[in-house]
Amino acid sequence: MSAITHVSDPGTRWTAGDPVVLAARIRLRAVRMVAPLGFGYLGQALSSAEQVAALFSVMTPGEDRLVCSPGHYVIGLFAAAAELGLLDEEAVAAYGQDGSQIEAIGTERSPVADYVCGSLGQGLSAAAGFALSDRMRGRARRTFALLSDGELEEGQVWEAALFAAHHRLGRLTVLLDANNSQVDGPVDEITTLEPVREKWEAFGWTARELDGHDVHAVVTALAGADSAQQPTVLINRTSTAHGLRCLPPDADGHFIKLPPDLAARAEAELSAALEALGA
Amino acid sequence: MPERLNQPPYPTVLKPYGQSLVELARERADVVCFTGDLTRQCEVDLFAAAFPERFIHAGMAEANMMGLAAALARDGFIPFVHTFGVFATRRPLDQIVNAIAFPNLKVRILGFMPGVSSPGGPSHQAVDDVALMRAVPNLTVLDVADAVEARQVPAAIVDVDGPVYVRLKRGEIPVIFGGDHRLRLDRATPVTPEGGDVALFASGMMLAPALAAAEVLGAAGLPVSVVNVPVIKPLDVATVTSAAARARAVVTAENHLVTGGLGSAVAEAIAEAGLGRRLRRVGLRDTFAEGARTGPYLFAKYGLSTQAVVDAAWSALGRAGRPPAARPAQADDGEYAPV
Repeated sequence: MSAITHVSDPGTRWTAGDPVVLAARIRLRAVRMVAPLGFGYLGQALSSAEQVAALFSVMTPGEDRLVCSPGHYVIGLFAAAAELGLLDEEAVAAYGQDGSQIEAIGTERSPVADYVCGSLGQGLSAAAGFALSDRMRGRARRTFALLSDGELEEGQVWEAALFAAHHRLGRLTVLLDANNSQVDGPVDEITTLEPVREKWEAFGWTARELDGHDVHAVVTALAGADSAQQPTVLINRTSTAHGLRCLPPDADGHFIKLPPDLAARAEAELSAALEALGA
Repeated sequence: MPERLNQPPYPTVLKPYGQSLVELARERADVVCFTGDLTRQCEVDLFAAAFPERFIHAGMAEANMMGLAAALARDGFIPFVHTFGVFATRRPLDQIVNAIAFPNLKVRILGFMPGVSSPGGPSHQAVDDVALMRAVPNLTVLDVADAVEARQVPAAIVDVDGPVYVRLKRGEIPVIFGGDHRLRLDRATPVTPEGGDVALFASGMMLAPALAAAEVLGAAGLPVSVVNVPVIKPLDVATVTSAAARARAVVTAENHLVTGGLGSAVAEAIAEAGLGRRLRRVGLRDTFAEGARTGPYLFAKYGLSTQAVVDAAWSALGRAGRPPAARPAQADDGEYAPV
């Protein structure tokens, strides 16, 4: 089915190349994955493309661990893995189809990330558990966790945040995709999460706010986040429409409709963007 | 084969589970211990003292604790997770389902203070934990009867290929079985002579009143065969249906709601086998219990007494007249007797 199971599996290798180009390729690939379905979690791929590209640029292949807490975000990881030759074209082409191993909402069975949670708010506990386990076993690898801002409404995230800080799990780094999107609308209209940075700091974390679409900034912050003292969260401010101008202004960021004509325009726009990068 | 049994009032011991978990951890470096801020109450103060580097205090945060345990299990550790049964099953149900049971991880969840053994009121009384855990695929569910079984729990469950939930009584644990009793995960065990008019299936703390009820009924000319069912899921259907087939009526007894637990499991088994045996289920009936001073008061009030088991058997056989009266043994300090 796929060339790899998980990014941390021994022997896994990839070369990320230019992260700007990788992010652009993730966007185009995600459009091509969603187009046959006519709708899907394209907004998550658009908001997280730079973060995913940065992850594949910073992670040590075959060693560091990756947890994807919101299962809807696997589209971006699958897209990156396909672009890097880590997932077979045949498997990616079946994304979200009946009987496919590549389910649209990621699960336990999903490849690429070491662990994908379908039920929101659970990923940080798993990542903290991995980091703790590595420390107990004397292993020197890092654990990365991709979280979304809507998930911060779940209490378990904060239970895990307290635990990770108390136990000084400094090799744990969270990428928080702050795209201000959840099912019923903008996160800030449903629950006030701000000030997000101060909340994490108050919980004992090193917290930094970034433009989540500035891939070089995310790469630098990720590479520098490895601390012996406390875990780090990078709060990446993003948009579920970033990098795709042809989307209608009222597109639902959680679940974007992509009829054939719009899919064709999106593919043309993103192909042109890639060409402009000389890729 | 009937088992060698002590007679009530039963002697009691302290921390049989906690002691044997330490013994297991001495042999097995992969065993780790989680607590949800109920360390002494769940007998794992012993583990914390013996193996502090493998003892993880998760605080009062059950959802996170299950997620942590799942991650360690993925990494080859075998986590034993401890808190009260209510907090082990109600609060983190979604985490148990998604993070532990779906991936079929070797997490062992120990829920202390089953049913109304706690006088602490509905928030502390796990009257639904077996039903909740029994509904989850891949989980094995145990409700053990006494200290002899509790002592065998760690070694019996450590290598089960999937998650396990065990209810354990807190505090003084009665010693009902003789020392040669073996806890088996694949067998329900007849503990009194087989072939009685009533097949009485009991689990956990209801074994003691079931045995007392069988004495009373036997003396009144109604032979009862008691079967101890420590594993509710997967149920030993062969033993249950064979015992039910030899009897004229069936009674179940559980320190739990009669819905979703042992009574339901036995009802399903005998119905699917096509056995038309009348069934009476002893347990809480679609109700929450209440806070009180003592557990025995609650066992009597919520229909978990020896008399309640006697009445159920009497009614199941359609006997006329008043059922015989149970006269529970009196227990001194350090002893245990069912009400």
